[in-house]
Amino acid sequence: MPDASFDAVIVGAGHNGLCLAAYLARAGLSVGVFERRHDEGGGAHTESDVTVPGFYHNLHAQYMEFIDYMPLYHDFELEKHGARMIKPEAQLGITFADGRPPIVIYTPEHMDKTYQSIARYSQHDAEVWKEIKGKVTQYDKLLAAFIYSPPPDPARGDDVAGGTQRALDAWSLMGLPATFMYKCPKVIIDELFETPELRALLYRQCVEWGSNLHAGTGWGFVISVVWLAGIHYLSVGGTHTLAHAMANACLKEGVTLRSTSPVVQINLKNGHATGVSLKDGTQIEARKLVASNADPRTTFVELIGEERLSPLRLERLAGWRFGPEHVLATPSFALHRPPDYKSAKHDPAINKCFYTVVGFETDHQVSDYILEAYGGAVPKRPGAGTWVNSLWDPTQAPPGKHSMNGWFFFPNASCLSEAEWDEVRATYNDRFLELWGQYAPNMTRENVIAHKLYVPFDIEKKIGMPEGDFSHGRPGHIEMGRSRLYWYRTEIEGLYLCDAAVGGGGISAAGGYNCFRVICEDYELPKIWQKPGRFY
Amino acid sequence: MPDATYDAVIIGAGHNGMALATYLAKSGWEVAVFESRGEEGGGLVTEEVTRPGFLHNLHANYHTLVGVCPVYDDLNLYDHGLRYVRPPVQMGAVYSDGTALTIHTDLDKTCASIARFSQKDADTFRRLFEEAKGYLDLLIRTLMYSPPIPLRDITKALVVWKVQDKSEFLSVHLRQMSVNDFLNQHFENERVKAMLAFHTSLGGYSTDRKGLAISFPLLLGKIDNWHVSVGGSHNLAHALWEAVAHSGGHVFLKHGVEEIIIDKGRAAGVRLNDGSVVAARHLVASSIDLEQTFLKLAKDGLSPEFIEKVESYPHMDWSFFTVHLALSQAPQYRAAEFDPDINQAWVLNAGYESLEDLNDHWRQIRRGRLPDPRLNCAVNSLHDPLDAPDGCYTGLIRHFAPYNLATGGPEAWDEFRDGFAQRCIDKWAQYAPNLPGAILDWTAHTPLDIPRRIVNMVQGDWMSGLIALDNLLTERPFPELSQYRTPFKGLYMCGATQHPHGFITFAPAYNALQVIAEDYHLERWWR
Repeated sequence: MPDASFDAVIVGAGHNGLCLAAYLARAGLSVGVFERRHDEGGGAHTESDVTVPGFYHNLHAQYMEFIDYMPLYHDFELEKHGARMIKPEAQLGITFADGRPPIVIYTPEHMDKTYQSIARYSQHDAEVWKEIKGKVTQYDKLLAAFIYSPPPDPARGDDVAGGTQRALDAWSLMGLPATFMYKCPKVIIDELFETPELRALLYRQCVEWGSNLHAGTGWGFVISVVWLAGIHYLSVGGTHTLAHAMANACLKEGVTLRSTSPVVQINLKNGHATGVSLKDGTQIEARKLVASNADPRTTFVELIGEERLSPLRLERLAGWRFGPEHVLATPSFALHRPPDYKSAKHDPAINKCFYTVVGFETDHQVSDYILEAYGGAVPKRPGAGTWVNSLWDPTQAPPGKHSMNGWFFFPNASCLSEAEWDEVRATYNDRFLELWGQYAPNMTRENVIAHKLYVPFDIEKKIGMPEGDFSHGRPGHIEMGRSRLYWYRTEIEGLYLCDAAVGGGGISAAGGYNCFRVICEDYELPKIWQKPGRFY
Repeated sequence: MPDATYDAVIIGAGHNGMALATYLAKSGWEVAVFESRGEEGGGLVTEEVTRPGFLHNLHANYHTLVGVCPVYDDLNLYDHGLRYVRPPVQMGAVYSDGTALTIHTDLDKTCASIARFSQKDADTFRRLFEEAKGYLDLLIRTLMYSPPIPLRDITKALVVWKVQDKSEFLSVHLRQMSVNDFLNQHFENERVKAMLAFHTSLGGYSTDRKGLAISFPLLLGKIDNWHVSVGGSHNLAHALWEAVAHSGGHVFLKHGVEEIIIDKGRAAGVRLNDGSVVAARHLVASSIDLEQTFLKLAKDGLSPEFIEKVESYPHMDWSFFTVHLALSQAPQYRAAEFDPDINQAWVLNAGYESLEDLNDHWRQIRRGRLPDPRLNCAVNSLHDPLDAPDGCYTGLIRHFAPYNLATGGPEAWDEFRDGFAQRCIDKWAQYAPNLPGAILDWTAHTPLDIPRRIVNMVQGDWMSGLIALDNLLTERPFPELSQYRTPFKGLYMCGATQHPHGFITFAPAYNALQVIAEDYHLERWWR
């Protein structure tokens, strides 16, 4: 006799697991979600005891780039469940130690400001950016449709060629040169733009979403650099507030949500997934299906076991690698005052820019930085992307104070030993602070109340992303229409994947949404995702 | 958030706020709870502050009313993921001479341990405990889970019922006595007295404070009822959150309340920190502190006398210093040679060997000084393996400490923090020599960090008001507020400022519910 029984059992309460749970419950299934950690949200993770109590720090996801598209957000009216979003006007900027003017990219509605900022360096580049951003933005729903649609699965006889054709069609609709599709983002950026300062900013933007600057495809440029730059939302209260709203939506649909309940095994019987076993011995029955929000290695190797996997799965796993090669390390600083950049004398907007790139003087430095991370080393020059969310959201710091988070890009967790990570954790923030002070002279030790660094090793242990891998597998060599090499269905009847390996990294909730669509098809559930005017 | 209307608006998603919300939602009301922090649960805070995978309870750790408090079953919290463990060795004390005393769930074992120090005290303990158990349900029901009655009525009842003739331990004189007086009257061995006093202190009752002996029988009757919340104390918060939501209620995090809207003397709703307005059809209930509620949120129209009472509300005269440890081994005590059970004890007294040790501690704290470390420690992982990575242990040191340091005030804590933490660790290691080699990491939080984290714990006051005879029952927080009603119609108090006090009791919410049920003619389905 199982201890509990649900129609659907979901392993992991990351945002994709929550997304799937909410839809399945609304479609009429009883749903239980079992989470390893003591809190829901996975990478949508905010804590208030990292530096000094009362300073909130996002330890992983920093911004929400898919809010306008994410079906979950709109179908479940997450704002009625406590989600609140701010889209800062000045979105993305780069600042310089010698006080050169910054470059600031604004939201698409403020293209004139972006134009002026780039034109300070190069009229040509401003024109090119305006043109290409316009083309891509015009077809943003097509791009979103690729993300929010399950890929055709050749194992089921789906038409893969049709998907590829759709991708090619979209590319030509956007009016981009066909040759770009097979060039890496760095080459495209270098060919299009002449200003090293702008290139530096775009290089950094490229690697944000896991795209490989030096070896990816033109899609990395289109999606990471052009489309997503400028549409970042700040989650008021911290990114965890969004996860909490998602969980609230689940609870409203009657979902059972269990924290500190690690799943240790996915139970199979005659090739069917029948439920899960929890670490404390509890047996949970899945009457219809099990879906895993964990990464593929955890799902297949740890929770099922290689001896129970099919040759197809073993082959797919053999071709699969954790990645990208560069993963996140998150510095958190509690500050008396926000940074006041030298570059602000040309344009004060850089002091109130959502995401500010600090520490790079040239495009080469950004390129070298990320190559070091790809090569398995912690970059020598401690440049960072920085967010001071309290500039917009005073709830994230005590009155008058400021909380900052950043992203370094580091190699995968296993590239360094535990002792080496200890050393990085103990020293790297100080090195960053020294560099930061060269860009913003008020970033002195006296201005820092406390700080902490989470390295990929910590993220692996804490958030449960092996290697610190935020997209559950290399996002490289994506063919559009066959995004990633994994599919929501597995060869095990009743076992589905809804994690970032299938849906991509970032807080898109595509993994959960697409998994739901596939499950709807298999179990003939009402197609409640279909909405008038939605392409996906 | 968009402007909205609910039947009841509750301020603060601590355990009291969420419990009241669930009762009202189950009664058919539309209810929303607004919380300024990023997590629900108030003091039910669990975070990985040392290393990933080590779950540290930053605040509430001991749950002592499980199985006694009606809320757990009324709200079916066990169906919402709540799990408790009641450790067989509940408490222990280690002494400088290598001996140890242990309190068990098994009374015989407790008495056997006490008997190694004093047979007479073991016998007294047994009689006292059995007597207390006999009236515990009645005491808890009438003194904790009912709106408070005046102390003089209790005293009168004791006289009328001739309790003194029937009871060895209850007397009308208890209200003149401190816990120390009570212990000195009935027990002979200093260590036994210190252990029982230690247990009392963990509940917030200063043992040298006159009058608090009245609560001692009730406290002692629960000495074997200390529970670990599996997966961290925050797991109770999650269970409550699910209970609220499954009952149709809402919990909004990071939605701090900026104002209670008073319309013609009635609480009509709240204004949130984003400017939105949430209307309350029936009532607003505040589970937070008096200062925020009446000096910031709803101050207009209150009399100067009322404001004066809020401003002069007495707070706890001691707070907590805490060290959280990530351990690769459980502490192995030297005293295990004397009593092997000590290695399995959950809550540990390391430093109080006589009542004078405690008295000295209280005196120094009240002068703003830090005594030589005298600890209470707990290793939850001994009983909850889910709170640490496999093979590892999550350790807790608590130290009663002043909020306001004589040298430098509260702010000086930031400077003293790490040094004092190291002294506390060294002290623990004196009793458990394997400890230094087992420490993977540690971090410390001071009394100053408590209000930084949870604003309504003013001055690090973890009980939301001094535990003193003149701040209990109908005197808490002061007579006008003692029945959970306020000067504003439709505004109720339901948090730890109210009778009985802070701690994971649920009693303020439960009692506020009874008053609300009376005022709004709710059907009492929970009885």
